[in-house]
Amino acid sequence: MTQGLQVPEELLDEIDYILNHLAEKARTDTIMLADISGQLISIQGIMEEGTPAIIAALAAGDVAAMAELSTRIGEKDPHGSFFHEGETKSIYLHNIVGSFILIVIFRTKTPIGLVRLFAKRAVEQLMPITKKFEEIMGPPKAYNPDEFSKGITQELEDTFPDE
Amino acid sequence: MFINWKLREINLKIVYYGPSLSGKTTSLQYIHSRTNPERRGELISLKTREDRTLYFDYMQFQMGKISGLMPRFNIYTVPGQVYYRGTRKLVLKGVDGIVFVADSQVRRLDENVEAIQDLYEDLEGLGFVASEVPMILQCNKRDLPEIVPVPTIKEQLGMNGIQTFESIAVDGVGVLDSLKCIVNSVVIKARGNISSNP
Repeated sequence: MTQGLQVPEELLDEIDYILNHLAEKARTDTIMLADISGQLISIQGIMEEGTPAIIAALAAGDVAAMAELSTRIGEKDPHGSFFHEGETKSIYLHNIVGSFILIVIFRTKTPIGLVRLFAKRAVEQLMPITKKFEEIMGPPKAYNPDEFSKGITQELEDTFPDE
Repeated sequence: MFINWKLREINLKIVYYGPSLSGKTTSLQYIHSRTNPERRGELISLKTREDRTLYFDYMQFQMGKISGLMPRFNIYTVPGQVYYRGTRKLVLKGVDGIVFVADSQVRRLDENVEAIQDLYEDLEGLGFVASEVPMILQCNKRDLPEIVPVPTIKEQLGMNGIQTFESIAVDGVGVLDSLKCIVNSVVIKARGNISSNP
């Protein structure tokens, strides 16, 4: 996914439903879906610590590095999954067809097998939806591009004050 | 570019690219320090023991809603060293705009040329048409002795016609001007993309 992406609300609703279901079944804290460039698409569950946008950006770097590592050791399909086991919380990352990343954050008391099982099922459900992403582009709705462009100048002044 | 209509957000990605030690991280640190604290996220740096960028530096800032959409800008730097080329390529995925930070010193000219060639190759490898990606040139370290005149840098890099800013990133000179310019370019390009969609 190198070009622009607009996601219609209906697809996001479907994704939210799948992520919510995964959170309930696998007893996880936080589930996120990001694209491979690090853009956060959806987040479900609670996040006591950390910033979702940063987690998504770092996960994208991690997944890309792991895919490269897999290729270097001769793996033909580098789109696998991996997880980091922490003292209190662990992270499970699943590379979905090289375009999206499922990020699961869960407490270490939750069995990894449970997370793997339901994450795998979630990925199967997400695959057809994520494929639609690049086929269906959402309409601009109530969006005025000229107004948006003009508004940026004022917003830049407010974002970088005293200059 | 990623537009989330449910949250009414538009996410845009800007990458600071250039040879090692040209001032990419310093520029980002200055940007972070000057961003309205209520509108910025944390500055994340993944560094080596030698304090050099390993994966990337990253920050996000957001603006107030414009025409019902909240713009969020994700700003990345890439590691400049030659052997981190793979990392640079992955950071470029999904890029909406690029600030090429050139080191103005005479002795670094060749490395600038090499870096811009890498950039074009990486963009092509990712499916971009390099000439269609909004890009600006930030000629850094203009306070140092033995620097190359800006027109020469542009000519050597094949960046004639690209909007250019002189900077002294350690003092913040020219850094925000570069950023504001690329933000505007990215927004204009995004506007065109959205308008052309059905």
